[in-house]
Amino acid sequence: MDFKNPKMPEGINVTDEHPLKNFLYLLLGVVGVIVIALLVLFYSIGFVAKWIPFETEVEWAKNIETSLVDDVKGDLLRDLVFPNDSIVSKNTPQNKLRAEKTRAYLQELSDQLSVAQGLPESIKITVHYVDQPVMNAFATIGGHVFIYQGLLDVLTSENGLAMVLAHEIAHIKNRHPIVALGRGLGLGVVLSLVAGVGGDSFSTNLASHVNLLTSLAFSRGQETQSDIDAYNTLLEHYGHGLGATELFSVLIDSDQSSGLPELLNSHPLSENRIERLNALGKSIADKCTDASLDCALMPLPQFIKLRAAK
Amino acid sequence: MYDLIILFVLLALGYIFGQWAEKKHFRSIIKREAQYRQILTFAKRFPLSNDGDQKAELVGGNVVISVDYFKRFVATLRNLVGGRVTTYESLLERARREAILRMKADAKQKGLNTIVNVKLETASITKGSKGQVGAVEVYAYGTGLLSSHAL
Repeated sequence: MDFKNPKMPEGINVTDEHPLKNFLYLLLGVVGVIVIALLVLFYSIGFVAKWIPFETEVEWAKNIETSLVDDVKGDLLRDLVFPNDSIVSKNTPQNKLRAEKTRAYLQELSDQLSVAQGLPESIKITVHYVDQPVMNAFATIGGHVFIYQGLLDVLTSENGLAMVLAHEIAHIKNRHPIVALGRGLGLGVVLSLVAGVGGDSFSTNLASHVNLLTSLAFSRGQETQSDIDAYNTLLEHYGHGLGATELFSVLIDSDQSSGLPELLNSHPLSENRIERLNALGKSIADKCTDASLDCALMPLPQFIKLRAAK
Repeated sequence: MYDLIILFVLLALGYIFGQWAEKKHFRSIIKREAQYRQILTFAKRFPLSNDGDQKAELVGGNVVISVDYFKRFVATLRNLVGGRVTTYESLLERARREAILRMKADAKQKGLNTIVNVKLETASITKGSKGQVGAVEVYAYGTGLLSSHAL
């Protein structure tokens, strides 16, 4: 018998298919399925959450309200975040008085804007003023809106502030906070199911990445909707939309943007928000050249800018 | 957010270096297989003939190859839908052929020209530990002979 070891042909055990092609097919397929599942989940929760009565939302918010307000306003937190920040006003009687005046002013403006926006009777907005140099404002469940001093510092007109307030009121009117809460909870359940069944941190990781991008897209949609609602509120309240883009211009100048593409942000890019509002307001701006319309910006009250000495 | 960027950087690194290493390895395997072709290997349990062999000795060679991030990512996606895990197929093919080559090199060093009863053992390193990019070990061993038959 003749014994031989001939050369074996290549390609029996190894496929010729390009690894990237294989990868792309797999990735698109899996991500596609996750996205579809998330869309179904998000839409159904978004639909259902809007039917939760506002009173129920307020009831739920009560439990977190006290802790949230304390957390945000608490001296403890302030000291933790800004231990040596002399800009932060101390808890003197004058400062307390000024804070209360500011809060009352914000609340009154918000009440006027609520009317202008056509907020249903059942929804009540509670404005909280936070004396911290953070450029921020947010709305949360139960109709609570938080406005930071840092934001008031950079705004120059009441119109600019009204745009921010109306934007937050629009979030509450459109029930965005409760929808976001519902989505977060629903998603938590689904992710823990995936983690439990899959048992692989890797696939859970992928699912949460895809979720992040999907929920950011939803978040951007909500921001755009609120911008448009807020702009219309300004038109209703002041008769023109001047000052609506004030904060966005400040944000661009202050370089607060993360520098990441819009896809990775919870808010649309400031440039795009301005552009969208300008497109909406084109006809309005034209009207402003008309002498019959009073298109002046309203000034902010003096005390808002006054920072008590340390 | 930044996780995603890190993920894509890891995937790109895994792909570029992994593919480069794999192509280079396959070229080297094919070259050395031609070089060692005169050493015959068989799965047969007994010597090729009863002429009597001058020498008989245990020969073996083992290799450990790491999975790269790209291969592992693709395999994880494949786990969800099923099918051929082609990225691991090529990895194991490399490991098996390399182990046999090292066994042949061992035989050559010992002055043997035939290996019978060739067996392969495969083990997974870092098996079961989560979040670890694993590695595969293949050990090839057999009975090396100095056989007049093959001369």
